Amino acid sequence: MTIDPILTEIYRHRFVGIADEMGVALQRTGYSPNIKERLDYSCAVFDAEGNMIAQAAHIPVHLGAMPASCEAALRTFPQWRRGDVVILNDPFDGGNHLPDITMISPVFAGDEPVFFVASRAHHADVGGMSPGSLPLSTELFQEGVIIPPIKLYEAGEVNESVLRMILANVRTPAERRGDLDAQRAAHAVGEQRLQSLLEQHGRAEVCRYSSYLQHYSEQLVRAAIETWPDGIYEFEDKMELADGRDASIKVAVQIRGGEVTFDFKGTDRTLDAPLNTVLAVTASACYYVVLCLLKEDVPVNAGCFLPIHVRAPRDTIVHASRPAPVAGGNVETSQRITDVVLGALAQALPHDIPAAGQGTMNNVTIGGKRTDGIPYAYYETLGGGMGASPDADGLSGVHVHMSNTLNTPVEALEMQFPFRIREYARIRGSGGKGRFCGGEGLVREYELLADATVTMLSERRRHAPWGLQGGAPGRKGQNILISADGHRTMLPGQFTRRLQAGDRLRIETPGGGGHSSARNSRST
Amino acid sequence: MHRNSRRIGIDVGGTFTDFAVLDADGLRVYKAPTTPEDQSQAILQGLDVLEIESSVPVMHGTTIATNALLEQRGARTALITTRGFKDVLAIGRQNRPQLYEFSQSVAPPLIPESLCFEAEERIGSDGKVLTELEVPALRELMQDLKEERIESIAVVLLFSFLNDVHERLIAAALEKELPDVPFSLSVDLLPEYREYERTSTTVVNAYVRPLVLRYLTRLGRVLEGRSLKVMQSSGGTLDARQATLQPARLVLSGPAGGVVGAFTLAKHALKTPQPQIMTLDMGGTSTDVALCPGRIPQTTENAVCEIPLRLPATQIHTVGAGGGSLVRVDAGGVLRVGPQSAGAVPGPVCYGQGGEVPTVTDANLVLGRLLPSRFLGGQSSHVLDTGLARRAIAKLGQSLALSIEVTALGILHVANATMERALRRVSVECGYDPRSHVLVPFGGAGPLHACAIACSLGVRKILVPRHPGVLSAFGLLMADITSDASQAFLMPLAELAAAPKRLVSVINRLEATVLSRLDSDAAQLDCSLDLRYTGQSYELTVPLSLPVTSENVDAAGKAFHTAHQARYGYSKAELPVESVAVRLRASVTQSPEIPNPDTGAGNTPFNPADAPRTSVYFTADAPLSIPLISRDRLHTGCVFDGPALVVQYDSTLVVSSGWRGMVDLWQNLHLEWLDHDD
Repeated sequence: MTIDPILTEIYRHRFVGIADEMGVALQRTGYSPNIKERLDYSCAVFDAEGNMIAQAAHIPVHLGAMPASCEAALRTFPQWRRGDVVILNDPFDGGNHLPDITMISPVFAGDEPVFFVASRAHHADVGGMSPGSLPLSTELFQEGVIIPPIKLYEAGEVNESVLRMILANVRTPAERRGDLDAQRAAHAVGEQRLQSLLEQHGRAEVCRYSSYLQHYSEQLVRAAIETWPDGIYEFEDKMELADGRDASIKVAVQIRGGEVTFDFKGTDRTLDAPLNTVLAVTASACYYVVLCLLKEDVPVNAGCFLPIHVRAPRDTIVHASRPAPVAGGNVETSQRITDVVLGALAQALPHDIPAAGQGTMNNVTIGGKRTDGIPYAYYETLGGGMGASPDADGLSGVHVHMSNTLNTPVEALEMQFPFRIREYARIRGSGGKGRFCGGEGLVREYELLADATVTMLSERRRHAPWGLQGGAPGRKGQNILISADGHRTMLPGQFTRRLQAGDRLRIETPGGGGHSSARNSRST
Repeated sequence: MHRNSRRIGIDVGGTFTDFAVLDADGLRVYKAPTTPEDQSQAILQGLDVLEIESSVPVMHGTTIATNALLEQRGARTALITTRGFKDVLAIGRQNRPQLYEFSQSVAPPLIPESLCFEAEERIGSDGKVLTELEVPALRELMQDLKEERIESIAVVLLFSFLNDVHERLIAAALEKELPDVPFSLSVDLLPEYREYERTSTTVVNAYVRPLVLRYLTRLGRVLEGRSLKVMQSSGGTLDARQATLQPARLVLSGPAGGVVGAFTLAKHALKTPQPQIMTLDMGGTSTDVALCPGRIPQTTENAVCEIPLRLPATQIHTVGAGGGSLVRVDAGGVLRVGPQSAGAVPGPVCYGQGGEVPTVTDANLVLGRLLPSRFLGGQSSHVLDTGLARRAIAKLGQSLALSIEVTALGILHVANATMERALRRVSVECGYDPRSHVLVPFGGAGPLHACAIACSLGVRKILVPRHPGVLSAFGLLMADITSDASQAFLMPLAELAAAPKRLVSVINRLEATVLSRLDSDAAQLDCSLDLRYTGQSYELTVPLSLPVTSENVDAAGKAFHTAHQARYGYSKAELPVESVAVRLRASVTQSPEIPNPDTGAGNTPFNPADAPRTSVYFTADAPLSIPLISRDRLHTGCVFDGPALVVQYDSTLVVSSGWRGMVDLWQNLHLEWLDHDD
């Protein structure tokens, strides 16, 4: 097999271009604010064996989770017809948490599928015990409608029964339907572009380069890991539970011979709180850290992940089994897994690893009825401080690591939902001090104009984001309820609560940790 | 206006200032080195050389506002926001610029924290005043402002697009208390929703305003009373005095002139009022592409230096691949081109200014596609050194075990793939078929790559302008005079169709605004609506015929469904549609005739067989000996087949085999792909 270094680069552009084009279509046609304003989605292209060739991932937490979806779809359906679309969100069968709905569809050459395209989008509500579907659940069944891998479209025809079943289980069915249509539109774009690539260049060439690109990425990742010092590095950090307990996540990172193994032995058992994750999400966090450490811009595909091994005992927080609750694992625990991995690698790579960032996404969901009686579900995540790196201050008021979603404009929020934003600002001095300072956290204060149910999933309210090499920790986050008479109540990191019109919810997000002691002043 | 009275277009770029003069005798062009410290020097020099009398109107494209932003040297500007929101600029949309980087930095906001002030006031989402802006609070605010040495002020309050009472109160106070400091109100510039984008746009305006005012005032003096119009981002020109009030409208004007030039040229050359073209403007560091589906495409979703700028602009997609893009082999043994660029210094290796990393220009030179002696008609300060370029590419090729020629051709393939992807982005991704469009390459390097890119996109027609290197200056001559305004207008479309009068007063107000900026009573008014399916948050802009009637509103709704189908592949006639904003443009059409001095009569017919030959590589095995054609010899009616190399003062064109060239009345070159059915 002859490989042309020039065609390799051209195919890399082509495959990434296809995933990007799918993403643009999905964003533009989506209905959920999560998709259209916050870019909480990913699109990917897979080969016939289910190996990922290219991904447009705006959300690193989807890195390892997209391949798991494709694998589940291929395992469930050995036979495919043109126009089939499989849908799923079951965390224990290819999904990650229920709001992330994934679709997979084949691209045919002749009689057999040679590629698959996939899209995953965070839907604003998939039912369950609280609006926005990120509840304080104790088992999966409370978190919303569970969709195992099933065919939503068969040979181009929508399966109305499946669709009706799904829509009957969610709070905002019209919006869900719009989002599912948007995902389908993205697939149409991906399928069409791959078809024309196959027509223009022939199956043999396209497949040769789709597989070579994986080999190429694998080489680049191995080469990078080979420059890391061999050894075993350990670290531990805590998740804060609503009842005041902590749960521990432990990792031992082994670097040897161009490969790295992340072993989570010793991590606490599965919780009856929504902070467990499936292994695919744990893997995403590990992949993310390795990708950040690459000096070269490596195409993200299945090859990247071959030198990376992720192990975790079953029925632990980082490797949950059915029917453990997982709603917040995706958004919160994934951040702590990243912190733990970074803490371990900081011992091996002290000049590359940053201090802890805010380590939470500060998930706020508010649900109720608008003044015109129409139910609504609002979900948003808030930025905070980024950890200082060995050579730069952390950014302020941004999402760190596993998320990079946009905020919703205040003017858009207030026109759509019955609440008002009183303040949206940086918290001065909240970043950990050091030679390089952590980024500052944010404050956002909501005033409710009608009674509503508020659910929050947030972390780093008790344990501050750590600094490194003498840098100070960032300021902890706080959730504060201010009632109409001005009385202030400190709320825990996770809660579901019925609030009244006039109540104010003040969320202060954590600052990032500092790096290096401030004595080594920057001028020296 | 006399249609063929003399006029001059002057486009100031980073390296060259381009001139295009149009009169009854035809079109003349000239290039002078830009004088960065004072752009008016090069302008004055060109006017002298071209002997332009003082009655000739000047159309001007300037990068003064753009550069102020790029180099962060605008005015010391203050921002006034609603209480609780003074960090609106610093927070932005809360995303970090890089997804996979532990160490990141962002440019500081245009306004430092110490110059962001809050006004004790609040308007609700229904436009009602929730917290009144009281006199003592206002007085205190003015006092705070006076204590700073402020050169410009931006005022952006929440929901001011629904109720501007507090922005106007602040304006009145500023006029009284700080009479020498110019201020920009968001409600005057961009009365639309989404506070961060409205703030950043208003801040850009305030930030560049003093600088643009100084520059245009000085230029006005230099021009000794000649009428002066400047190009806006939208592709229309506006009187210089008006432009100084809302200079944010100039920031993206750089590439707009080229698109206007290409479009008006195509109208003539393709003999249709609505040509369907794709433009390819390839320069040293980047390439701008645009698709014109029978009109010049417009968008308001723009950004400059990552700062959102939501004013009308020609819809252009830019990629970091140009003649100066650096080539390297990465750790995985794959050839990469750009996005880093050699810039003007050291520039490509062949410039002999110390550059060691090969560029796309070096590859073109090594392959015989650029002639060392003919670069910019031989007048350029850069004499191209083929030996240096060959050595650099040979070294790169060794690491890939490839010959010089294979490596150089590979560099072009990769660069072309980047540009192909850019053209797909504006065509396929927007629902347009590239094959039904004519490719118009320009800029110094566009014509070098046009045939190869056309082939990979299935494009069968290429239009090469007579002067590809100065098309932007030509575009200035051809641009309409325009003025734009918009207003948030949130209403279900069905409701609007039932009571169309509700929009009339809004449009009347917009009409007064846009007309006040033009000194013409012959302006044409074009209205459009930003529409979306209720609940979506991206809008599509569709035309609304005036007057506003139920029928016309319904027609706009139908146009929205059609546009949605074309853009996204589906539409839902049963879903409710809502209006988000209304836009009005007033334009005075310019479109002067382009005289065609060359009828072909009396010219010796050009015979390619008589042309000297030059060696060009199309495949790596051996060079082809092909005709070297001087563009000056290509007169009207001339026909020749590729392969050929066409050289001229400001550009070089590679005509690949399979393409036939034909010269039209204006000496534009039409290339057509020949079907080889054998």
